[in-house]
Amino acid sequence: MDHLMTGFMDVLNPGTILWVAAGVTIGYILGAIPGLGKATGVAVAIPLTFYLTPVAALGMLIGIAKGSAAGSAVSAILLNTPGEPSSAPTALDGYPLARQGKAQKALKMGLFASVIGDFVSTLILILLAAPLARYALFIGPVELCAILLFSLTFIGGLSGGSLTKGLIAAAVGVFFATIGLETETFIPRLTFGLLELEDGISLVPMAIGMLAVAEMVNQAGNMKALDREASAISDSAAHEDRVITRAEWRRSLPVIARGTLIGSVIGILPGLGASVASFLSYGATKNASKTPEKYGTGMIEGVAAAESADNAVVPSSLVPLFALGIPGSVIAALLISAFVLHGLTPGPLMFQQQPRLVADVYASMILASFIMLIIGYTCQRLFAQIIKVPLRLIIPGVLFLCCVGAYMETGSIFSIYVMLFFAVIGFFSRKLDFSFVTFLIGFVIGPNLEFTFRQSIQLLGSDITNLKHHPISIAFIVLTLATAWWTGRSNSRKAVVK
Amino acid sequence: MRRANIVSGIMLALFGLVMLFAAIPWQIETAPPGFVSPRLVPNITMVVVVVLSLLLVIANWRAPVNGDDAENASPIARVELMALLRIGAIFALSIALFRWVSPLAAGASLMVVTLLTLGERRPLPLVAIPTAILLATWFLFYKVIGTAIL
Repeated sequence: MDHLMTGFMDVLNPGTILWVAAGVTIGYILGAIPGLGKATGVAVAIPLTFYLTPVAALGMLIGIAKGSAAGSAVSAILLNTPGEPSSAPTALDGYPLARQGKAQKALKMGLFASVIGDFVSTLILILLAAPLARYALFIGPVELCAILLFSLTFIGGLSGGSLTKGLIAAAVGVFFATIGLETETFIPRLTFGLLELEDGISLVPMAIGMLAVAEMVNQAGNMKALDREASAISDSAAHEDRVITRAEWRRSLPVIARGTLIGSVIGILPGLGASVASFLSYGATKNASKTPEKYGTGMIEGVAAAESADNAVVPSSLVPLFALGIPGSVIAALLISAFVLHGLTPGPLMFQQQPRLVADVYASMILASFIMLIIGYTCQRLFAQIIKVPLRLIIPGVLFLCCVGAYMETGSIFSIYVMLFFAVIGFFSRKLDFSFVTFLIGFVIGPNLEFTFRQSIQLLGSDITNLKHHPISIAFIVLTLATAWWTGRSNSRKAVVK
Repeated sequence: MRRANIVSGIMLALFGLVMLFAAIPWQIETAPPGFVSPRLVPNITMVVVVVLSLLLVIANWRAPVNGDDAENASPIARVELMALLRIGAIFALSIALFRWVSPLAAGASLMVVTLLTLGERRPLPLVAIPTAILLATWFLFYKVIGTAIL
């Protein structure tokens, strides 16, 4: 608690507040533009934070992640085109409300549900991460290797429609992580004589290419349909159609509470992600309703259910990252590089080694929740206008910012080549349904997985029977096999249904 | 998607085999005695890729054919492929300008040519958007943050 107070004292100064507010605003705008989600925003913004203080930089990135999670509801409600897949259930009732002239009401409910979900989930992160990290300190390399393998299988099975494709993406991600000087022997691996590859492939240009450039190419191929939708929405003149009434609040508050709980639990489990949470919450709300047949025609509770769960995922997905050093989502994977860059190595030791910086991060997260409410409420009409800007005017600027972001990482044009190479991979992986999320997480945990695997070989004396002295790792290996079997079976069932 | 899965599975299996039998032995030396081989993890990942890719090919090959057009249709629309090629060409032009003319010319051309390619013909956006973004970038880095990025 003392550290948290110190964190607030560090964060509550005009400079940091300004950067957090800038992050939330940028995130909100990026989230409102279809295709430009939180991952894209964070990936492009990481290099822009190189020259900020650690607190301001991390606050800004967290602001972008939170702001874009809330902003993605804008295009879902006004365009029927979710800014991110996780806002798809928001569109089911938000868009019919907008067609009835109640866009302002739906946008307000989306914002309030987002802020409540996000804030409560942040508190859950603060309460859970440190106690979990204490247990994590008892975990050795053999156990950690098994846990990482389990996480990768779990994420691979759930991130896409096919376990096989998910595992291929994860394996290719780990493979790319092995490029560069090997840490024990300093033997160069797959560098093809290029000095730029000796330090390995940098995550930032890779992530910018896979997430932002690939998505812009995708949008460039589909922009006419999106621009047509934007010109079809107008507001009602009636006051009650633009505000949330007391009766609507009474009906929506339990829905928001359930959505927040679902989002927080789903966020803690690696790999499930915000889409699973928002669909689950929407489905649970519809099932619990006395009038489920009205869902999809403009029920305000539908917006509340989806948005509260969607936004609760972002903070709670940092629980496995902070407690175990395992990124459970693509945002967490991207934030690892930002945290390391600014002197905070995610994992159980960070609570002992840098409690003040951890407290600063927590304080920034709480601050970002409040700023999100203020900016979202005061600028909602303005943000709603952004989606009316044709995509052809947005794409060139985003591509330019991608180049600036990638170039700044190393100050070399080689980063631009890396960005373009992974943009092509990202484009095809989207189209062919190979989860780029799993690829990126595989890439991020690859070095740790290899390191603990090598340590395990030495600790076990290259004899697999010595695993009997490590019951936790046996449990996770069994869980890995069970997950592979279970998700493989459900994937093949889905394929048969299709 | 069935056909796309078979083709992508074959391509990935070939990639894995090339890595296993050509790139890894050629590009990674063997370890000194007493060390775990630096080839170990790259080899394991590529074995996983080859095995799973072959599984993907076999599973889709053996899947019942229902004569649906969708299962043989390409998941990539022609217009999307054209967008990829066009944006690729724009980047190639900008990189050439970056190397042989100046970063400013590269940045401006990236935005102007993309605007033109996406169908913008009005002179005002063609001039105002690149000018505003370049000026904003310069202001952010050189004035607000106070650092040179080039």
